[in-house]
Amino acid sequence: MTVTIPTLETERLNLRAPSLEDFPALCAFYDSERAHFVGGQMDREKVWRHLALEAGHWNLMGYGRWTVVEKETGKPCGMVGLWNPEGWPEAEIGWDLFDGFGGKGYATEAALAARSYAYDVLGWQTAISLVAPDNHPSRKVAQRMGAKQDGIFSHVRFGDVEIWRHMAPADIADGGMESYA
Amino acid sequence: MSVALNIPQLETERLILRAPRAADFEPESVFYASDEARFLGGPQEASATWRTLAVMIGHWVLRGYGFWAVEDKASGAYLGRVGLWNPMGWREEEISWALMPYAQGRGFATEAAFAVRRHAYEVLGWQTAISQISVENEPSKALARRMGAQLETTYDVPDFGMMEVWRHLSPAAARKQDAEAAA
Repeated sequence: MTVTIPTLETERLNLRAPSLEDFPALCAFYDSERAHFVGGQMDREKVWRHLALEAGHWNLMGYGRWTVVEKETGKPCGMVGLWNPEGWPEAEIGWDLFDGFGGKGYATEAALAARSYAYDVLGWQTAISLVAPDNHPSRKVAQRMGAKQDGIFSHVRFGDVEIWRHMAPADIADGGMESYA
Repeated sequence: MSVALNIPQLETERLILRAPRAADFEPESVFYASDEARFLGGPQEASATWRTLAVMIGHWVLRGYGFWAVEDKASGAYLGRVGLWNPMGWREEEISWALMPYAQGRGFATEAAFAVRRHAYEVLGWQTAISQISVENEPSKALARRMGAQLETTYDVPDFGMMEVWRHLSPAAARKQDAEAAA
């Protein structure tokens, strides 16, 4: 088996394959308040398995989430990408930003690149994002991308989360290759 | 730049040990939904089994080794998995096997486990290995004995219950056992 994980590039970010070097940043994320929106805090052993899950998702589905790296500093600043494990309501564009990287528009920038990849490379016809009801910054990302709220999904661990429906490929005026090339 | 995952394929007399893939989810989810999975942290629902499978593949990415899917060379049927396991927090590097109920009793696990032990010692350079086996899992303990492993200790593992730790032969002793089997 050879699943290739592509690298995407945006103005300020690189999106690359998740790897073991991301482990400390992920541990910090899952130890922080931010983990409240993604199932709660996890110890190092669980985070390690979660990192393995991120990599394994690529191999099972042919797509997954990238580690987002800030070009200027080379620091991993989040995980953004395409997520659809067994039991998920449908294929999702997801974004988690690490502590200290919020408020810069990084989630939107990376999520737009992931959406372009889903539509232009993978040929998806639609996509959703799941947003915890009290995660206002995340809802703003969905809104900035032009997504509309489209019901509720009851997640086994996360509880009720909002489903946001993304714009269809045809409705995106500038959704060409240049947005992540 | 992009990253690709390459999992080596191993071959034994009757088996192909290959990379796990999405199609393995179906037999594994049936297995994990049943009481047969009680020695392996189950039973569990399908979404958890999918994640188990994804973690197994990701283990390769993070460690450079992991579980292979065991396939019947003759029929191509999925028989289970065998591999090398050492996620963060694990006791130590382990040789592990789990065959589907329909594949048990024909020596497939033994055949696969010997091939994987060889890979651990001869390719990866491991100096020792354990297998952790539920105290009630007699067929698995019998396999450990056939490999020359010795019972070392018993302890309580969360979600798994009382587990025995079996210590495998050293690389030199394993090489000798392999040579005698081939002779």
